[in-house]
Amino acid sequence: MVMQASVATPPRVGQHEIVRTRRRKTLLGRIVQHRVLLLMCLPAIAFFVVFSYAPMPGAWIAFTNFNYRDGIFGSPFVGLRNFEFLIKSGQLWLLTKNTILYNVAFIVLGNILQIALAIMLNEIRSKYFKKISQAVMFLPYFISVVLIGVIAFNLLNYDTGALNALIEQTGGDPIKIYSIAGAWPIIIVLFQLWQSTGYGSIVYFAAIMGIDNSLFEAAAIDGASAWQRIRYIILPSLKPTFIILLLFALGGIMQGNFGLFWNLVGNNAALFQTTDIIETSVYRMIISQNNFTSSTAVGLYQSLFGFAAVMLCNWIVRRINEDYALF
Amino acid sequence: MMRNALARIGAATLALAMTTTALAACSPSEGSESGDPTTITMLVLGDKPTNGRLEAMLDKLNERLEAEANADLELFYVEWADWQTQYNTQLLSGDDSIDLITTATDWLFAWENAEKGAFLPLSEEMLQENAPRTWEQVNADGHWDLTKLDDGQIYFIPEDNYTQYTNHGFFYRGDWAAEAGIPDGTITKFEQFTTYFEWVKEHQKDAYPWDIAGANDAALTGYLQGHTDGQTIQQISAGNYFPFQTTEADPYTVTSWYMEGDELLQAAELAKKWNDIGVWREDALNYDGDTREEFYAGLSGADQHHTQTFVTQIVDNMTKKQPGSDPKFFYWGQENGNVFKDILTHGAMAVNATSKHPEKALEVYDIVRNDEEAYKLLNFGIEGTDYVVTDDGELAYPDGYDSSTDALGSNFWAGRMDDFELDKVTDAPNKGEIYADLDAVAKEYPYSTLIVNKDMIDPTLAAMGGVLSEYLPQLQYGKFDDPAAAIEEMRQKLRDAGYEDARESIQSDMDAWASERGLK
Repeated sequence: MVMQASVATPPRVGQHEIVRTRRRKTLLGRIVQHRVLLLMCLPAIAFFVVFSYAPMPGAWIAFTNFNYRDGIFGSPFVGLRNFEFLIKSGQLWLLTKNTILYNVAFIVLGNILQIALAIMLNEIRSKYFKKISQAVMFLPYFISVVLIGVIAFNLLNYDTGALNALIEQTGGDPIKIYSIAGAWPIIIVLFQLWQSTGYGSIVYFAAIMGIDNSLFEAAAIDGASAWQRIRYIILPSLKPTFIILLLFALGGIMQGNFGLFWNLVGNNAALFQTTDIIETSVYRMIISQNNFTSSTAVGLYQSLFGFAAVMLCNWIVRRINEDYALF
Repeated sequence: MMRNALARIGAATLALAMTTTALAACSPSEGSESGDPTTITMLVLGDKPTNGRLEAMLDKLNERLEAEANADLELFYVEWADWQTQYNTQLLSGDDSIDLITTATDWLFAWENAEKGAFLPLSEEMLQENAPRTWEQVNADGHWDLTKLDDGQIYFIPEDNYTQYTNHGFFYRGDWAAEAGIPDGTITKFEQFTTYFEWVKEHQKDAYPWDIAGANDAALTGYLQGHTDGQTIQQISAGNYFPFQTTEADPYTVTSWYMEGDELLQAAELAKKWNDIGVWREDALNYDGDTREEFYAGLSGADQHHTQTFVTQIVDNMTKKQPGSDPKFFYWGQENGNVFKDILTHGAMAVNATSKHPEKALEVYDIVRNDEEAYKLLNFGIEGTDYVVTDDGELAYPDGYDSSTDALGSNFWAGRMDDFELDKVTDAPNKGEIYADLDAVAKEYPYSTLIVNKDMIDPTLAAMGGVLSEYLPQLQYGKFDDPAAAIEEMRQKLRDAGYEDARESIQSDMDAWASERGLK
């Protein structure tokens, strides 16, 4: 406001000076005033500076023929050559497709299940049963993905797996699950939902708890059934929460759950067609091919695409309802 | 209140920082002969031992090093879990606390890392002055050429005075082979393993014929080596694979056994047959158990590694843990004599490009390589507690010594010397015979001095590595319904990745090298 005024009106002698001093004072004053809040932000700011902003220039490596001696910025510039093969081999398309499709499945199914679970929890009247159910649904979230990988292998493997043992007991032919690429999208989605639904439902549960009780009382007086209560009070009240969570999720649509995918699939190339996502591919490129440039190229592509996704989603939401937009 | 507290913390921090700087400025300049000993850190590969024996040995060794060179030696371990990544990223990090780096051209990416600037170029003067005994011996044998890049500089010191065979093959059980009807229980052809595996599957219900874990290309390479005269060019890797070969018949033309010929298909078809028999776990690609222990426990009919492992570990362990198992070794290329002696850079020592004490590091290396007392301490430990020498002059272990928990684990594989080595009581009794047989047939690796310029083909090699790592493990485990179609698909992808350009680039280096030596 002050700045605009000083630009709009021709400056008189001395006025500019005064404005600047005043502004500086205000800024300093505001810092002092909010020092505790700012201090609380500091760890988060430091985190993003160190892990997100400081490494950014390193993305330059994607455009070089990297060597240790010349370093990231001294190595010869090769333009887009590192991207060339990724496109030519169809790798980039496959990775993009897999990453997005998995995320769409996680977001859609995940949110539906989380909302359903939160509503069901809300409808439970017995206090103890409610607590126990909540704890049981929560538990998978705290199991390491490494263990999930081991559990999956022991359930599903051909020679000694529990599932095949069961099939054989009942006279069937065992299934070579680790060779059937088509089965894995289902398996991965199931494990992801098993692990995250309980935890994800808290946010919705909290939102339901926050609904004004008088609405329910009024509904009760009007003789609304449980179903009507859910349909006309709970679901509409969850809409803002749902949209915010959806937005966050869409922003991360190019990011995969590395731990889960890597521990379930690992180096099994037979399954890559349906299970390889950007994270696992980048990891393999570095680990087994010592290939820093192509892996950075993929990572950079992922970031740019992710950035575009966030901007686009935010723009769309802003169009629909400005209050729901993130910025 | 808050502000005062903050100010106080700030002042304290500042004061602390100033003190530290002042202290650092006061510390004695390192590396001077008269001051404290300089600590030289050597990167080795292996799991860091925790039984205290290593530290005890280092205390003794450092007494000697302090007296000789005013230096101490410390070991830095790159452990076996994910060692390839750990090793390369450790070098990439440019960590200046490491002085000496264990490397190798055939399995530790020495050429790649030298080209990428991880190693300090070593001048002749520097070597003559700081590692005179090493310089003399390697020079007298004419081996410095094996360690130079195309800039003519020396990048590492070869372990060129140590005899070993690290050619790979199958370990199997003679007792089971005999029962399977194989004459004398001795397998002499790769295909005979089909008979052996079938018998194990049929008669040893608890065992997998060949329990093997994770991505692997052993069966393919084994077949190709025994059914072609292909000679792998070890200077060029694509990921974990070595895709370029020449042939003995046409030794100066660069080709690839993954791209040309029908042998890869034959190998893949045999692998498919083995997969159908159930030679390995159906889900071997996702399995990560310790298959050597399975072999020792009688739960696997075969295991895969090299001659050295066979004579030093397999025979001893199998005779103790599976009495009567009559362990045997079939090495790849045995049926057609297509097998190579170890290259002299299967072990080598480089100086870290960012080392603060490169001269001192060379001095220390010269001592542990050439001084018998220091050598024995580093390699065998303290006599009496870590090892004993028998009346026959063989190296043995004290009573109650258990190699699985009491091993020294110094893992010095970059400067061992035949002169100081002793036969071990745990060595295979027929070790001499095995070596003599190999000596009689094994060929010298012909391209030790070939220098390949990879600047322009690095991205291509990386892309090829990606393709190979997708197809070869599946071919090895017989997972494609139609191996012929899969191979055609893989070849097309390799061509797309730039195989032909890379091949031509290597060919031109090969031509220059061959004509320089009047070979072509």
